Amino acid sequence: MTDGVYTVKIKDIVKETKNIKTFRLDLDLPALPGQYIMLWVPGYDEKPLSISYPGRDMGVTVLRKGATTARLHDMKRGDILGVRGPFGRAFKITGERLIAVGGGVGMAPIAPLAEKAIEMGREITVIIGAVTKSELLFVDRLERAGAEIIITTDDGTCGMKCFTTHALEKELEKGRYDECFTCGPEIMMYKVLEIAKRHGLPTQVSMERYFKCGIGICGACVMDDGGLRVCKEGPNFRDVEIEKFKDFGKYTRDASGKKVYW
Amino acid sequence: MPAGYPHQNSVVFMLETDICGLRLENPTILASGILGNVGSSLRRVARAGAGAVVTKSIGKQAREGYKNPTVIKIEQGYLNAIGLANPGVDDFGEEIKTAKEGGVPVIGSIFGFSVREFVSVAGKMEDHGVDALELNLSCPNVGKAGAFFSTTEELTYEVVKAVKDSVSIPVIAKLTANTGDIVAIAKACERAGCDAVTAINTLKAMKIDIVAGMPVLGNKIGGLSGPCIKPVAVASVYEIVKETGLPVIGCGGVTTGEDAVEFLMAGARAVQIGVGVADRGIGIFRKVAGEIEEFMKDHGYRSLEELIGAAQG
Ligand SMILES: Cc1cc2nc3c(=O)[nH]c(=O)nc-3n(C[C@H](O)[C@H](O)[C@H](O)COP(=O)(O)O)c2cc1C
Ligand code: FES
Repeated sequence: MTDGVYTVKIKDIVKETKNIKTFRLDLDLPALPGQYIMLWVPGYDEKPLSISYPGRDMGVTVLRKGATTARLHDMKRGDILGVRGPFGRAFKITGERLIAVGGGVGMAPIAPLAEKAIEMGREITVIIGAVTKSELLFVDRLERAGAEIIITTDDGTCGMKCFTTHALEKELEKGRYDECFTCGPEIMMYKVLEIAKRHGLPTQVSMERYFKCGIGICGACVMDDGGLRVCKEGPNFRDVEIEKFKDFGKYTRDASGKKVYW
Repeated sequence: MPAGYPHQNSVVFMLETDICGLRLENPTILASGILGNVGSSLRRVARAGAGAVVTKSIGKQAREGYKNPTVIKIEQGYLNAIGLANPGVDDFGEEIKTAKEGGVPVIGSIFGFSVREFVSVAGKMEDHGVDALELNLSCPNVGKAGAFFSTTEELTYEVVKAVKDSVSIPVIAKLTANTGDIVAIAKACERAGCDAVTAINTLKAMKIDIVAGMPVLGNKIGGLSGPCIKPVAVASVYEIVKETGLPVIGCGGVTTGEDAVEFLMAGARAVQIGVGVADRGIGIFRKVAGEIEEFMKDHGYRSLEELIGAAQG
């Protein structure tokens, strides 16, 4: 299925929060948690998106933020989208007692990860963070799956009034975890990595960069200094790889390849 | 010599080649536009076994290029319409410096929308320390009604001559087969004092998705690469070698050592590899080099020189 663009109909649309929708496609796409597709919105653009529902009626969960995602949010059941993928290296579950931190729409790959972990008989605690209560993603879904959930909101409308990283710090003091996963804003992930490292926890981070090809040839997504490609060797990297990145938490590159500091 | 190189000593000896003064440990070169916009990426490809690397085509200013989809796979090849996206020559020195740590020649690909732009970017790339320049002539000359440099002998001659006169490093012109007579263009390069040519760039192409009812590429039209363009590229190399005295670098659809041997037998002194990286990974350079060597051993060729032009007759 990785060959070419595969055009399919939208089968269902779920409004998750005020600004986030899940699109279920008429496509059976086996994939592992953390993998992504390139989603073509015909006539607009093509974007890398984490797969939030692998397998039957494959789904992606999308925050409305630019012209393309706005167009996507306006689309209806039966409309046509193009898919390339699945691509990228998945999260790899090796621990027994996991903790995952998802900020905002960063929950998209964390939810299938948690489901998979539980299916594999592991314990998982998920810290779900959002600006406010109405923007929290996949709380019910993960409750149903049997994950332990810690909620944080910036404004305190639900759960703890703090950032996910504060909740992580507190939780890790209990010392019962052996592996950490994170997806969300880069600054958050940078801190998660720092905290997890201090507690001796191996961590996997879901990296985001500007993508063009998605298949490891254009060079748009490479990380300094080793030249690893986020679209191919990533998007999920281990702490030992990330520690060698000069750009993580510092700069990204725009569509021209120019550095843009955070 | 990096560790793990197959058949260590013999490879270096058998596969060595030179092209316009650049010495290559093996005849595989990373093609322009493939992993070439960031220094650490070029260095990684060099360390993975490429005989030389070419940068992404760099222009005067940063350009974001076209909207996605910019690269798609089709039957027997790939289509791309990146739109000359690049970070601009002024900021590129740091990337070249890192690329050179790879220990192989770094060829700076450049483009311009006028002869003056080409000359200005060429000078800056020379200052950045590239070992040679490759002129991407597949771009429109804005001043002359948008005619592509690569499609008329006059424009080709003018730009190659101007760049040659302004720099002291070797100048390679990259040609397209999207022209009436690629040999005539190559001859114009030769007259202008060009040191070598690369043949060929992508071929104009389009993919329409019949369900969406529209072209897939953001720019609608793009360039075709991969196995499907190899026969066109081999013919171009063969004719240019026959009709001119220019050293030629073959490019278009090299995925295996056998593909490379075909180009070498047509008379190419080296080959570039582009989308083959998608099919076989960054290790493709070492793999192709090993396969060329294997072919040579199996068929009694003792050096690359014996292979180069063997099919010219
Ligand atoms: C994604 C992509 C970007 C490219 N960008 C450039 C470029 O900036 N300059 C250039 O001269 N050629 C560019 N090319 C063309 C390649 O250098 C090469 O000529 C072509 O792909 C044929 O070789 P291949 O079949 O080995 O890929 C690009 C090709 C691809 C696929
Ligand atoms: S997006 Fe093209 S190499 Fe990663």
